[in-house]
This record gives sequence, structure tokens and C-alpha cells, in this order.
Amino acid sequence: MQKLLSIALKDLKVAFRDRAGLILMLLAPMALIIGMGVISGRFSSSGSGAGISDIPIVIVNQDEGQLGQALVDVFYSPDLVDLIAPITTTVVETARQQVSDNTATAAVIIPAGFTASIIPETALTATSFQTPTVISIELQTNPTRATSAEVVRSIILEFLARVETNQVGGQVTFEQLLTQKLVRPADIPALARDFGTRMDAGANASASTTITIEHMTNNDAPPAPFDVLALLAPGMALLFLMYTVTRGGAQLLAERDAGTLGRMLISPASSAQILGGKVAGIFLTALAQVVILIVVSTLLFNLHWGDWRGLILLLPAVAAAATGWGFLIASFVKTPQQAGSIGAAVMLLFGILGGSFGTNVPITGFLDTLSKITPNAWGIQGFTALGNGGNVTQIMPNLLALCIIAMVTFGMASLLFRRGNLIKK
Amino acid sequence: MRKIIAIAWKDALINFASPSSLLFFFVLPVVFTFIIGGGFGGATASQDTRAKLLVVDQAGTASSQQLIDLLGQSTALSIEPMPWAEANATFDADDAPALLIIPAGFNSTAMISGTAQLQLKQQPNNLDAVLIERTLNTTASQITSAIAAAQTAVAEAERIRPFTSPAERQAYFDAALKHTTQLLAQAPSRLNVTKPSQIAPDFNPAAQASAGQLITWVFIPLLGISAMFAYERRNGTLRRVLTTPASRAQLLLGTIFGQFVTALVQMGLLIGFGAVVMRLNWGQSPLALIVLLSSFALAGVSLGTMLGTFVRSEGQANGLSILLGQVMALLGGCWYPLELFPAPVRTVVQVLPTTWAMQGLSNVLQLGAELPAVLPNIAVLLGFAAVFFVIGVARFRFE
Amino acid sequence: MPNILEVRQLVKHYGSFTAVNGVSFEIQAGEIFSLLGPNGAGKTTTISILSTLFPPTSGDAFVDGHSVITDALAVRRLIGIVPQEIALYEELTARENLNFWGTLYGLSGGALKSRVEEILTQIGLLDKASGRIKTYSGGMKRRVNIGVGLLHRPQLLFMDEPTVGIDPQSRRAILDMVLELNRQGMAVLYTTHYMEEAQELSHRVGIMDHGQMIAIGTVKELTRQVGETETLRFQVADAGAAAQFTALLQGTAGITRATSTGDEVSVMVPHAAEAIAPIVTQATEAGLKIRSLDVQEPNLEAVFLHLTGRALRD
Repeated sequence: MQKLLSIALKDLKVAFRDRAGLILMLLAPMALIIGMGVISGRFSSSGSGAGISDIPIVIVNQDEGQLGQALVDVFYSPDLVDLIAPITTTVVETARQQVSDNTATAAVIIPAGFTASIIPETALTATSFQTPTVISIELQTNPTRATSAEVVRSIILEFLARVETNQVGGQVTFEQLLTQKLVRPADIPALARDFGTRMDAGANASASTTITIEHMTNNDAPPAPFDVLALLAPGMALLFLMYTVTRGGAQLLAERDAGTLGRMLISPASSAQILGGKVAGIFLTALAQVVILIVVSTLLFNLHWGDWRGLILLLPAVAAAATGWGFLIASFVKTPQQAGSIGAAVMLLFGILGGSFGTNVPITGFLDTLSKITPNAWGIQGFTALGNGGNVTQIMPNLLALCIIAMVTFGMASLLFRRGNLIKK
Repeated sequence: MRKIIAIAWKDALINFASPSSLLFFFVLPVVFTFIIGGGFGGATASQDTRAKLLVVDQAGTASSQQLIDLLGQSTALSIEPMPWAEANATFDADDAPALLIIPAGFNSTAMISGTAQLQLKQQPNNLDAVLIERTLNTTASQITSAIAAAQTAVAEAERIRPFTSPAERQAYFDAALKHTTQLLAQAPSRLNVTKPSQIAPDFNPAAQASAGQLITWVFIPLLGISAMFAYERRNGTLRRVLTTPASRAQLLLGTIFGQFVTALVQMGLLIGFGAVVMRLNWGQSPLALIVLLSSFALAGVSLGTMLGTFVRSEGQANGLSILLGQVMALLGGCWYPLELFPAPVRTVVQVLPTTWAMQGLSNVLQLGAELPAVLPNIAVLLGFAAVFFVIGVARFRFE
Repeated sequence: MPNILEVRQLVKHYGSFTAVNGVSFEIQAGEIFSLLGPNGAGKTTTISILSTLFPPTSGDAFVDGHSVITDALAVRRLIGIVPQEIALYEELTARENLNFWGTLYGLSGGALKSRVEEILTQIGLLDKASGRIKTYSGGMKRRVNIGVGLLHRPQLLFMDEPTVGIDPQSRRAILDMVLELNRQGMAVLYTTHYMEEAQELSHRVGIMDHGQMIAIGTVKELTRQVGETETLRFQVADAGAAAQFTALLQGTAGITRATSTGDEVSVMVPHAAEAIAPIVTQATEAGLKIRSLDVQEPNLEAVFLHLTGRALRD
């Protein structure tokens, strides 16, 4: 055991003295976590990094009535001051050009007659409501900004829904009165004006009409607020964990080629102790890496990782599963260079399959099944569950899966790695 | 020229000496493009990319059905009604971002009395779940607005003549609500969403994801030219070249030219793969595409040359290439679109060549931009190339 | 014979350290000139300057009349380099390496192709030319390393310690190759710290130490400096005993010089046969045990020892 530990600790020391290796072990994941934090607005004053801001739009209001201006007012309202950055112009082509030039997310063109198409003057004097010609708002969207264009669209739709509801509400009110013969047709215009005045003054029955949405979780803890870094930090840590273990495998082969492994074999240490020591060294390096990344990201970004008992179990489990893969890759390649290239490829593939690059990558069907062989998928799910208030029980399936991955990969690698493989040919 | 070509060819032979080099040159970029671009045929308009919402209707009321119908009309999400046990299992298996439970007692009376409740389970830190919640809020307010309109009708009627009994009032309310709901369902769309006229009708949004991957996977090996210089320095071949009649300029140009041509070939293969296998539309202006990507390749190889003057070993060079390449690709909008970035960040990242390349490529692919429209991007990329090249050459150590 | 190389007062400073300090010598066309000296003597720096890798701090050198400072391009066309390290592309084959370097030397087309085949034959690797350099043994790599230096038929070949770290058989092959090249008229500047190589190959030898040329001449001329002096090498128990023995011999009549290195004592005497017995007696009387004794005739090592007081292999 002492010889095994001695080899393992030597390798751990070597790994952390290699400045080039430290770039990818620690610097790169931290840089990417910070980068993702920056682009998600996690470090801005709004804090949580949940979305978009300052969407540039161009508004052309050709409508003569109050609804066109009401929509313009919505975009300029204090509620949307952080979300939308509107400008207005009178020239439609200018607005369209800004979208084509990719300087604006959308052009909102409110045509003439819009208000009249919803609240026609003639309707107020008619005995029944005529259906006026529909005049639509045109929203020209920039296809390179699909998400923010969708936000603009949803704002307009919400506005139109309210307008529609108010219009229909008014229509129904007076149609019902007429149908129930509570009023005469000649009374409608005066009643409508009085009704309109009272509605504008805020007499609205909707205040008490509500639907409450209650957020539920699987455990007693309240749902954690959205924090994009809590999602991405474990993903990046696990991505570069795979780099560390495949590099460890490459170094095992490099030692074989350099003859130092063979030198160990002619010492009193058995090949099991030697190989065990080498693999334990990879494991300890991987564990140290992921612990350092977690500690640093906690201190720097105030991340919450959840139940410490779960963490204590999850961290070695992911390190073991990843080490098993690194060992397996080393067992079937021929040279350290191959181990490096194939290892890097596996690192990236596992990363994308396992969710290290975020949730907007569509991993479904066969790809989702394939992701189950990666430490990344199980690890990220476990970290997320713990961060969301879960405990050891919730992550038991993840721990089990990671242990199985470790055992299977170690087993296969041990069979492939025989004593003869350890000596330079 | 012959010496420059000889140097470039020698580098190509070294770069592709091992079959595993094809992994990063072609295989991985193609796999990533395939996965992110949504498989064969890409994410076409007919494919459902909406967020999935599981719905458990425990109420079985007109209100719950109205809610389900309205949610079903949404373009942002697709709903899947199912029993509780199945929905819960699906949610726990992480197969849906959110689960909506409409509990028993969800009806208009509860809404009026303020006790109507919906229960929503969301996967943690999931952007689709956030979108679903936003849509649900909008839909819920649509329903309450209809009820409010019916209440207004009742209130107006009561002002003119009070109802004789609660039953009469209820009947009036029900009729008004039914009428309101009918009219709302028949309401015309008053929003016409259009795209700029130069957009191709068969545009495929997966091309955007492919563009980001192309930039990422080409950029990293271009930075990796720094490792080539470190290798030659360690190997002694750099010194040896300097004792031949080949000049230092020829050596630098040959190395850079080789990497540049390799990058062009790589981009050509990836674009070809995307076009033929994934049926992606790479825009209507091949000239704009070629000039833009060539400028980008020059900027990348020049940056790699400059990087090579700061590193001491191949290990450092390779590590820094991957680190800088990934970070610059991320910040340049290659992984997540720039529109998602905070406004100050959108400004700051303009210092990166990847940002200009990605924006230019997006303009060509999605806005149908022709060469004149992307000339600013090309000019900036060539400017980057010039600056990096000058610094790299000035600092270059041949020993 | 005209001089193919003239080196005049070459100096190279690195900060406060002087690597080459006023070195001057000439090489005639068709001559093998060896630069002999221990590691760190300044041989490689001298060759680097002559190869036009970097300019000297002062002084100049001329290859067939072309200055290495002002006419470097012309110099590079005239010289061939065989560097100390194996400066080849390990991922490429021998043939690919030769093709590449040949192009840099201005060869092309059919001329390049035929010259590459000639070189491969000359270095005895024609049948292995398609193998990658990384699969070659050390000796094979050295041969390709030499082959690259010969591609463009240089008038002057610089060989910087070409036999370091290889087996005796390969070393022999390389030395034979150098002799054959010289027979064909090539001038060679050969640096080494192996005295035997310098003695075997060279028409003339320049001995360098601490950046200075301390002696130049034919082997005979140099060894004459130490006269007929022969060197007795005694191996004693340990360094302490060697120091004691050396002190004992200082000032003893008939002994030109006595120095010790580790457990070895070198004693220079006019006639070894006459000096052995008294020296051994002296050692025995002092209680010093002699483990072995070796007699060397005057050679370059002795010259170096005579000039510097240190063994060549220090």
C-alpha cells in the first residue's frame, strides 16, 4: 500500500508542477466559467443572469388613433426600460433597413387605421357591430436574433390580447344589453362614451380575478432562483476533468516509452502496485482538480452547491468514473500522442453529450441514451440536484451509475493492460 | 515561392502524420455541427423545437380545458396532457423542462374569488422552463381577462337594472363569458410577423449553429500554429532552416501560408458537409462567404503567430490555443447568440476577431448579406490580421 | 591551397559572459579541420556564427571570400550544416526530409529527385527511405542528419559533434563517411570533444578552451609541444589518495607535471619506462595502493592537459 501511495503522490506532485498542464486543468475551466458568467449577465447588477436586456427595436407609428400610441407607450414604459431599447422613426424603410443591417432586432410598424380597425367610430352608431377590416401591426424580425425577437413579439401579443379583450369586453357588454333588451340601440353611443370614460378612469373588475401559480419541488426546500453559473460551473468542471484523466493516461504511456515504468517493474514493487499507484495518481489529480474548481467558484461567484454530505460522495464518484475512462483509453491506444488526441476528442464528445455546454444543445433519443455512459451526464445531474436542495437520497441513482461506470471501465482496462504492455518495446 | 510552398507542404505532412489528427480537423467539427444543428436536415421549420410542457388536468372543468386549449395554440411551447403518474415519471427522468398540474377546483368561480391555483414544477436552471413559466403567465392573464370582461358585462347590466336573483346574475355572467370566449377565439390575428425581403425562403436555422461550430473548430488549430513554432524551436529544425538560403520571411510566410490553406480546406469540407448531408443553406453569396472566411483565417493564423512569441513549449502552446480559442469563440457569440449577452458585454466583445467573424457569417447566412454588406467585418478582420502579424513578426524568436 | 574559410578575431558576448573570445583560424580547401575542446569551450557558438545563425559581437569570418555578416545568403549556399542535435522532422520519412531540405537549398524537379536518391545511397539508407525518422535508430538518424547537410554539394561542411550518443559501429560509419567526403574534395570543420576522432580525421586541429583558441596545428605539431613527454595514468583508491599522491610527486625530479582527477593521477614524464619504478616505489612507501597503471604516448589529450592543466574529459 505504501508503494502504491508513494507512486500516486509522486504523480500528483508532477501533475501540479506542470505549468502547461495546469492551463487546461484549472485555468481553462475557470476562464470558461467566468466567460459564461459574463455573457449571461451573472456579474451585472441584475445578478441572476436569467436573460436578455436592451433589445434594440425601431418603431414606426402611422396610426392616427390612441391604440398605436398606447403600444409605443408600452415599449417606452418604465417596466420595460431594461428590456427594450426603442427608437422611433417616421420612415418605414429606415426601420426595415436597420433590421436588414443587423443593427436592430425588430421593426414595429403600426399602420394607419389600426385603432379604427379595432374601435371603429361607426360601430358606436350602428345597431349591431360591424366587423371592420383587420389591419395588422407588422413586426419585421431579425432572424439572427430569434430569442429577443420572440420577446418583442410576446410583448406585442400581450398588448394585442389586452386590446382584444377590452374590445370584445365592450362589444359583449353592449351586445348583451341589446340582446336582453336592457337598452335601446339609440342609447348605445352615449352609454359607450360613459363606459369608455369609466374604464379609462380605472374602473376594472379584473383586480380580484387571479390565477396563482405555485412552484413545486420534489423536496421541502423552496425552488432555487435561476442561476446560470450553477448550471454551467459543474459542466465546465466535468469537461476538463476528462482532460485531466486522459492526460494522465497519456503520461502513463509516456512513462512506459521513457523506460521509467519498466524501471519500476524491476524494483520490488509488483505490477499491480505500480499500475494501481499510477491509476490512483490520476484519481487523486482528478479529485484535487474538481475540488479546487468547486472551492474557487464558490468563493468567486458565491455559488451554492447544496448538501455537503452529497458533495463528499459525489466528488470522488465522478473522479473515479472519469479516471476509469482515462485508464481505459490508455489501455487500448499505442502511443502517448494517440492517448492525447483521442482523449481530447472523448473529452469534448462527453462534454457535449453530457450537458457540459448547457441545456440549449438538443440531446434527445439515441444521443440521450449514449450520454448515460458519460460521467458528465450523471455528475451534472447530481450537482444540479444538490444545488437545488436535494440530498444524498436524491442522488443515489447518480452515485450508483458513476460507481458502475468506474468499475466497468477499470475492469476492462485492467484486462487490456497486462504486464507486457508496461514495458517499452 | 517554391520554398514557401515546400515549408507549407512539410507542415501539412507533419500535421496529418497521424490519423488521429483527422479527429479535430473534420470528425469532431462534423459531429458537433450535427448534434447542435439538430441532425439530418437540420432544425427545419416543420420540426418541433418548442419547449415541452407536461399537463395534468385534475380539474376537468371548462376553465381547465380553456387553459389547455390556449396553451396549445402557443408557438413557444408544445403541451402533452397525461396522467399524473406518467407525467411525474417523465419529469423526474428529465424528459421535459416543466410539469403543469391543474388541480381540482380550478374554475371561473375560484378565479373570481382569487383562490384559483395552478401548480408548476420546473427543472432547475433550465431556460426552457423559464420560457414556459412566462408563457403560462401570459395565458393565465388571457383567461382572467375574459372573465373580467364577463364580470364587466354583468356590472354594466346591473347598473342599468339590478338582477332579481343570483341565478339570473350567474346566467347573465355565463352567457357573457361564453360570448366573450367565442369572440376571443374568433379574434383575427392583428400581428403580421415578417422577415427582411432578402432572406431565402428555404433558410434553415441550423445553419446558425453550424456557423458557430465552424468558427470554433477552425479557430483553435489556427492558434495552434504557436505550437508548431515551439516544436520547431525544440527540435532544432528552426535553427537549421536559418542556415539554409531560405530567408526568415520565407520561413514565417511558409508556415503561415500552410496553416491558412489548411484552414480553408477545413472550412470548405465543413461547409460542404453541412450543405450536402445536413442540407444547410449557406447563404446566397458564395463570394461574401469566401472572402469573409478567408479574412477570418488570416486573423486566426496571425493571432496564432503572435501567441507563438509568448509561449515556451508545445504543451503551453496547445493549452493556450484551446483555452483562448474556446473563450474567444464563446465570447464571440459562436455558442450562444450575442443577443443573449448584456448590452455592455455586447460592446466589449467587439475587440475579438471571433465576434466580427460570427456577425459577418450570421449576416451572410441569415440576412442574405452580399459582399458589400460584410465589407466592414472583412476590413476589421484584416486589420486584426495585420496588427497580430506585425507584433508576431517583431517579437519572433528564431532561437 | 586557397583558404575556404578565414576566421578573424571572432568575439561573442552574452551579457557579461564571453562565449567566444578573439578566435582566429583558417581552413584550406579540401582540408579537415577539427575544433577540439571540452563542453562549454565555445565550439558550438563558433560554428553557429560561421553558419550565419547570429552575428558575432565583433570580428568577422569569410567563406570563399563572402562575409558571414554582410553576405550571409551567399555563405549559406556554400556551406552545409550537420548540427549536434538531430534536426529532422520525426513524423516525416527520410526521403520526405531530404526532399524538403533540398527544396530550401534551391534544388527542384528531377535534379532534386536524383540528388535525394544519391544521398540515400551514400548514407546507406536507400532501402529504408520510406520509414519515418522516429522509427530509426540513433545511428540512422545521424546519417540522415549528415545527408541533409550534403544535399546541395557544399564546399565546406560544418559537423558539430556528429557522433555523440551513438554506438561504436555507427560512429565508425560516420567517421568513414567524413574521410570519404574529404577524399572527394570537401573541406570539413569538425567539432568534437573526442580526442581520438580529432587525431584520426584531421589535417589540422584547433584546441579551444573557455572561448579561446589556445593552439592550432597538425597533430604532430601539437604533440611536439609536449615533447616526447608520455603520460602515466595511475588509478588509486579514491580522490583523497589521488590528491595525496599528486602532492607527493610535485617537485620530484624527472616529472614534468602531475595532476589528479577523481581517483586518477596523470603524470607527464619524458620516458615512461624509466619513471615507472621510482614512482611506484614512492607510492608504496607512502602507503598508497595503486590499482592500475596505463601508459599513453603523446597525444592531444596530453597537449590539452599541458596547456590547460585539466583533462579534456573534465
